[in-house]
Amino acid sequence: MINLTINGLDVSVEEGTTVLEAARFFGFPIPTLCHNDGLTPLGACRLCVVEIGEEPGTNLVSSCTYPAEEGLKVRTASERVIRSRKMILELLLASCPQSKIIQDLAAAHNVKTQRFKQEYEDCILCGLCVRMCTEQMMAKAIGFSGRGENRRIGTPFDIKSDVCRLCGACMYICPACQLRCTYTEPEKAICGACANLSPPCLEKEGFNDMMCYMSPCVACEIKKD
Amino acid sequence: MHYLEQIDEFKRFRQSLIDNSSDGKPCIVIGAGTCGQASGSNDLIRIIKRQILEQGLHNKISLRITGCLGFCEMSPFIVIEPGHNLYPKLRMENIPQIIDAALEDRVIEELLYTEPGSYTKCYTQQEIPFFKGQTRTILGQNQRLDPIRIVDYVKTGGYASLIKVLENPDPDWIIKEVLESKIRGRGGAGFPTGKKWEFARKSYDKTGQKFIVCNADEGDPGAYMDRSLLEGNPHTVLEGMFIAAIAIGAGNGIIYVRSEYPLAIKHSLIAIRQARDLGILGKNILGSGIDFDIEIFQGAGAFVCGEETALIKSIEGKMGEPRQRPPYPILKGIQGHPTCINNVETLANIPQIISKGAAEYAKIGTINNTGTKIFSLVGKIKNTGLVEVSLGTPISKVVYEIGGGPVGKAKIKAIQTGGPSGGCIPASMFDLPLDYDILTEVGSIMGSGGMIVMDENTCMVDVAKFFMNFLKDESCGKCFTCRKGTQRMYEILDNITRGKGTLAELELLEELAHVVKDTTMCGLGQTAANPVLSTLRYFRNEYEEHIVDKKCTAFVCKDLVGVLCQAACPLDTEPWRYIALIEKGEYEEAYKVIREANPLPSVCARICDRKCEQRCSLITSGGEPIAIRALKRFIADRVDPLIYRPERVVRDTEDVHEVAVIGAGPAGLSAAHYLSLSGYRVTIFEAEKEPGGMLITSIPAYRMPKNVVRRDIELLIDENIILKCQTVLGRDITIDSLFTDGFKAIFLAIGAHESRRLDIEGEDVEGIYQSIEFLKAFNLMGEELARGYVGIIGGGNSAVDAARVALRQKKVEKVTLFYRRTRQEMPAYEEEIEAALEEGVELELLVSPVKIYSKNKYLVAFECIRNKLGEMDSSGRRRPITVPGTEFKILVATLIVAIGERPQSNFLKSMGIEIDKSGRVNVDIETFQTHHPGVFAGGDLVTGPNTVVDAIAAGKKAALIIDRFIQEKELGEPPKVKLPEVLLEPAVVSDEELEQAKRTVPPILSVELRHNNFEEVEKTLSVDEAKQEARRCLRCDLEFIQHKNGSTIEYETVGEKQA
Repeated sequence: MINLTINGLDVSVEEGTTVLEAARFFGFPIPTLCHNDGLTPLGACRLCVVEIGEEPGTNLVSSCTYPAEEGLKVRTASERVIRSRKMILELLLASCPQSKIIQDLAAAHNVKTQRFKQEYEDCILCGLCVRMCTEQMMAKAIGFSGRGENRRIGTPFDIKSDVCRLCGACMYICPACQLRCTYTEPEKAICGACANLSPPCLEKEGFNDMMCYMSPCVACEIKKD
Repeated sequence: MHYLEQIDEFKRFRQSLIDNSSDGKPCIVIGAGTCGQASGSNDLIRIIKRQILEQGLHNKISLRITGCLGFCEMSPFIVIEPGHNLYPKLRMENIPQIIDAALEDRVIEELLYTEPGSYTKCYTQQEIPFFKGQTRTILGQNQRLDPIRIVDYVKTGGYASLIKVLENPDPDWIIKEVLESKIRGRGGAGFPTGKKWEFARKSYDKTGQKFIVCNADEGDPGAYMDRSLLEGNPHTVLEGMFIAAIAIGAGNGIIYVRSEYPLAIKHSLIAIRQARDLGILGKNILGSGIDFDIEIFQGAGAFVCGEETALIKSIEGKMGEPRQRPPYPILKGIQGHPTCINNVETLANIPQIISKGAAEYAKIGTINNTGTKIFSLVGKIKNTGLVEVSLGTPISKVVYEIGGGPVGKAKIKAIQTGGPSGGCIPASMFDLPLDYDILTEVGSIMGSGGMIVMDENTCMVDVAKFFMNFLKDESCGKCFTCRKGTQRMYEILDNITRGKGTLAELELLEELAHVVKDTTMCGLGQTAANPVLSTLRYFRNEYEEHIVDKKCTAFVCKDLVGVLCQAACPLDTEPWRYIALIEKGEYEEAYKVIREANPLPSVCARICDRKCEQRCSLITSGGEPIAIRALKRFIADRVDPLIYRPERVVRDTEDVHEVAVIGAGPAGLSAAHYLSLSGYRVTIFEAEKEPGGMLITSIPAYRMPKNVVRRDIELLIDENIILKCQTVLGRDITIDSLFTDGFKAIFLAIGAHESRRLDIEGEDVEGIYQSIEFLKAFNLMGEELARGYVGIIGGGNSAVDAARVALRQKKVEKVTLFYRRTRQEMPAYEEEIEAALEEGVELELLVSPVKIYSKNKYLVAFECIRNKLGEMDSSGRRRPITVPGTEFKILVATLIVAIGERPQSNFLKSMGIEIDKSGRVNVDIETFQTHHPGVFAGGDLVTGPNTVVDAIAAGKKAALIIDRFIQEKELGEPPKVKLPEVLLEPAVVSDEELEQAKRTVPPILSVELRHNNFEEVEKTLSVDEAKQEARRCLRCDLEFIQHKNGSTIEYETVGEKQA
């Protein structure tokens, strides 16, 4: 067993437990976006940061990836943590304001406006879909590509994947968009017919190679006729 | 070369190499690292080889092709051993004579290195200031060996440390040595290497496999020391890795090097192969029972792969993304095995530590920062290159002594260390020592050792933007805060450089920067905010200037600056516009453009200091600036000024007010002119008998004929202006009396007419004159005060003017200028100095007067002392320091003191005007208001001695402000960026014409014809010359016009037109 202190409370947890798991187990809420109990932690969204160590020289780390260590002092809601979380939420709101999950988190942290240039992105690159596909669906159909501002999620070489079983788990787990699928450009190889009132595959050329989660698909049925 | 199986065999092998070496014959050393090859060393090598072959010189001379020798600014250069004579910047045709000289043990004087600004030649490499200040324990080896020849390395003592370790392969001993040497990781964070090894030694996994990795993923913009080490001395890195492997018990070594370093990869591969062939790598090395091998892994060049966890992922073949530490790579690295990652330079230091011993090594540097560090010194500095200094060396020594100081006249503002993750250190902190802790303390980092020097022409906001742009591309993108944070920081910085930023955004930027620093996982993200935070820490004023004043004083941010020549002009003249008009032959239009901005066009066409030319875009593209002043002169001399009819404001009689202007110099005249145009009645009070101020009293007629000044002034004095000469403020009028007489506002522009004194004994004797007094006597009264041997003290424009005027006076025999620094530091215009020398004025540099000798109250001689140049002073020039015992006496009949002027303003105090120590009037810089309501001041009186164009600008602005004052409006004006608004079709210039085009030099009067007369020296350009010059203009304005019209106008490029 490993002994650590969370918000002043001395607790002990099994070896291999993450700080997030420990904190949640003992009833300290920590918001997360990219975390799911069934998937390997990634530490991408940074919402779950907590302050570790003792003054001076404390650090912020992502609790979902940080292992509980002997004697670790953790604060899950220090001023520094809250300030950072609010800024992260502000950044999230600025990029992806349409997500219900992000809106709720922002509201819970009393973040009501954001000060950046408003964007409407449909992905926060939390990687849940990628991990879902790899770890739970054993498909490895999608993954990350590019880096920095060009980082994105897609199938290898952006062509229709042979290993995708159209299970839809990626969409199910997505916190940002509910839709990997409102894409309408053919180069984005994942279709969104499910959420589109007018399926692009019907109206435009070149959509035959697209990933589609509709089975059976209304559009395809129409096309056949 | 045969496979060596025993340690003794290796020792015999080395001894045989030393015995058979052909030392004694001269050796040509040439650096052919990537930098050397880029500057042409391969061509030189070819010529050298050919000459050796053709002339059969094998036995007389040898050639050593080495890696980078560090002095990249002077590449390609050759060092001749044993004399260590360094010949910089060579061309192929220089080679034969160098070889001949080397064979005859001669030195070719004219090819030797000369320190810029001095005339002393450096005979040996060690005399060169760049090398003198360095401690080249690591880099110095590069010069002694050819990197692709292992025998060179062995001969110069290579692998001796390895042998020492193999003879006593006790890891504890090695780790103890490294710990005691106190060496810290050279990769950036400065973690003690010994400690890392200790952990690595203790770390085990089930398989027992361990890795030692050499991190050569050097990706900072402007840093290349790791590359140079791998290129120039790969064996020392291998040796360091091997020792590390024995210390931690690793059986595998990996060099992770980016694929952009082909030469480094090639040399390392050759080195590994040679080491294997010799039996230094592989199984049972030299019979010791130790197995170790090294392989090379090429990275694809992602910056983030320099981070150790990302580097491991990259080696494993995965996406280069950092992961959470703990677990540290020391415990779980490549494929889960313990992995110790060290920087190239750290590993290169290890053989030194083992061979010298820890205690000896620790003597270099300071207590907690031992050893040397290689910096790649780049940017706005004279000697760019690789510099190796002991840790704890002051920054100033690296920048000014080794680096040689600034390139041009602009002062050095800051250095940026540690690459994109580092920060800026302002010049005021250059006394700080270069060590890990201090750099961190001041908000920067040591990093891998990049050092970018920035001067006043570098905009710090732009620097932050540049690095942020780099980081937003190079962030791996995993952490949301790093990916989005860098993008958002870039967005805000970009807004600021475009003049669209707000103070609230600046606050947000800072807030965001702190959060990004706090919440990101890896080293890249945690330091990604540093470019913003450190520039904000020391240069917040620049950010605010961009936001509030919409100004970029470094002339970098395009949207705030506009066309460079226009932005440089204090009068906001549009040179690009009149140059385009000259090209079209529309001279009258051109005149109107000039005249609208400048009330004294003929004056400025002759004596303007040409700020516009110094900013000309042609300079940045490597050419010579457009001769803007000569073109202005062409127009001013050619066009009848009466074609310009200014617009006038017509006011109702009760709205016409009286304004008094004191001083009829350029500032006063300009103010009066523009006030008159705004519908006011102006009275100018002038102390001398005619208007013009300094233009008349001190500018000599050979630079500007008196009739030119008089004509320009006459044209300004219209019916609204009354000129009262020989009326002196304080004697004939006072400020209060003027207000009583009904003047609504007063503009003080009495200039700076008092010469500074030498403040040495016996200064007040006959024969010593102040330059102003001397010039005034001649220009106004025609008195010739100089006679015999004339000495001039000073190095500014008035000193040179006085010298040239004195030379033209009848009783003068000889004129010498005495200046306390070198010619490089002389503030006078270069062409004036040149002309003075041509006419026969002599220069005595690095001397200061100390004593005056007189007889019967008449000057007979003065004594000087020699100076040498010392540290940089606040003006960015090196301070002269007297050398005791070098005094000497000079017999002179006349001595003219021209060491600067100050306003003659003491009397203003009694009228309620505040003045400072230097006699300048204190005003609000925005509104020119003095503390006396209704009284404004401008020109030299406020700034101290300054240029004519600045004085005109002050007058022009004063007129605007006084107008607002009388109309009871807000005095200040919201800042405005002036971008071109008129589209003038560009000329079609062919590539050949552009290539051949050279800056037109205006014709000048030959030296013989200048004797004893005051005829104007510089003449006007001819129509052809002017047109040709105008066609050279790059027309920077077009970029903005296009921009404005939404890119609708598209110009065909010249090439297309020809086709």
